[in-house]
Amino acid sequence: MTVLENILLVGLVICAAAAPLCKRLLATVIVYLAFSVILAVLWSILQSPDLAITEAAVGTGISGILFFLTLKKIHALKGTRDE
Amino acid sequence: MLEAISQNRFAVVAVILFGIGLLNMMLQQNLLKKVIGFSIMDSAVFLLLASLGYIEGHGAPIVEEGNVNASLYINPIPSGLVLTGIVVSISVTAFSLALIQRIYRHYGTIELTELLERAKKEED
Amino acid sequence: MSDRGKSGWKRFAEWVNGDSVARDPTTQYVMNRRPVRAHAPQEFHEERERLRLKKFLGLYPLAASFLCLTLITILFVTVLCIPPFGQPGNPTNNEVSRHYLEYTEQETGATNAVTGMILSYRGFDTLGESCVLFLAVSSVMMLLQRDRNNTDQRTLHRLRREDAIERTHPDNILRKSAKLLSPFILLFALYVLFNGETSPGGGFSGGAILGGGLILYSAAYGPEQLSRLLSRSLYDGVRIMGLMAYALTYGIFIFAGANGITVEMEWMMTVIDLAVGLVVACTIYGFYTMFQRGKL
Repeated sequence: MTVLENILLVGLVICAAAAPLCKRLLATVIVYLAFSVILAVLWSILQSPDLAITEAAVGTGISGILFFLTLKKIHALKGTRDE
Repeated sequence: MLEAISQNRFAVVAVILFGIGLLNMMLQQNLLKKVIGFSIMDSAVFLLLASLGYIEGHGAPIVEEGNVNASLYINPIPSGLVLTGIVVSISVTAFSLALIQRIYRHYGTIELTELLERAKKEED
Repeated sequence: MSDRGKSGWKRFAEWVNGDSVARDPTTQYVMNRRPVRAHAPQEFHEERERLRLKKFLGLYPLAASFLCLTLITILFVTVLCIPPFGQPGNPTNNEVSRHYLEYTEQETGATNAVTGMILSYRGFDTLGESCVLFLAVSSVMMLLQRDRNNTDQRTLHRLRREDAIERTHPDNILRKSAKLLSPFILLFALYVLFNGETSPGGGFSGGAILGGGLILYSAAYGPEQLSRLLSRSLYDGVRIMGLMAYALTYGIFIFAGANGITVEMEWMMTVIDLAVGLVVACTIYGFYTMFQRGKL
């Protein structure tokens, strides 16, 4: 269990460091969502299933949708720049 | 030193994540990346809080009926605090993203230096 | 435009919307006057501003990294001194948590100590937090809602074109999978919402999943379908009623409980749970629909 914990913690730091270093904003958001998934697994390892459910729904689903909609509105996705 | 770090690995990772988030928030030029840095800082605080309530070998705080022995379960208080915090953090993120959309609609960019120049030009 | 003949409420609504016209000419004159500017030579002004910006941008990264590194060092040293992780004798595991674990079921009827705690012992905290969510979705509406003041012909044209594209070329994979999945997600959300007292879940998680299910439903059947079911007035009603039901029930809960009057706590917990879930679900669905279309 401790090994899995350590792997997840290292992954958390790597994701957090890599997310803002990506050039494309789409990649940044996707790496941030991976960060949230790892965090959700960590909550369930820390014996807090309530937090795991909430993080999986909010951090991964909802905030992902909001970030992608914002990317679409600021024309950072391919094919959304008009004219 | 190493032993202290491995004893408090969650807290150490939380501090590192907080530092990464703060650096991003202060040094990134892109507003969206600033928001992501802010979310990472949020998560770091939650990680520290939740790790304070964990007790090794104890289970999730769902009390079995008739077996009310407090030494079987982890501390429920940090979990409750973090649960409310996660939902507030998503609303803060949504609000900042809405602000970013308005800024883009008005100035046509979300890079901070360009934004400042355009705002200055518009003011004159 | 005369204010006579208008009800006070209507004038208040206009004032809140920022549409009101000042009544007396003096106020109107002051409102319309442009601020006085110093007329320095343009080049001088621009040069000075550019220098200032350059100096700021050169100094800022250094100062910011220095500040961050100092803060991280202090935090790191502090973290090395806190008691080891996961020990039962840590100062955080004191008699408060023991009391919550031992008496939650008896005093609130919830076996999940986390849900019992945030909805009963720390209910004021959660009430304030629900207000934060309410205000957040209101502010997002203020920023992103499309009305006649911030919509131009181009945006309308683009939206109409996007709708037409969606109607003629529907995304089949998204549609089919969302149609298949969204009933199960909504069912799971209701399970998590109502079963939060005895299993992991409760108002926040259930509401978040319910909001996610509504978003998926909206993506599958088109936004018109859902806005026919959940109109603007119904949405606002649910949002406000959720918050008020929470405040009312929790008020009764606190006052009756504090005075030793025995009341049926279990249905109150269910009502509070449902109210929190509705507020969270409305918040999340409101964020999505404001970001997506700018109207409900």
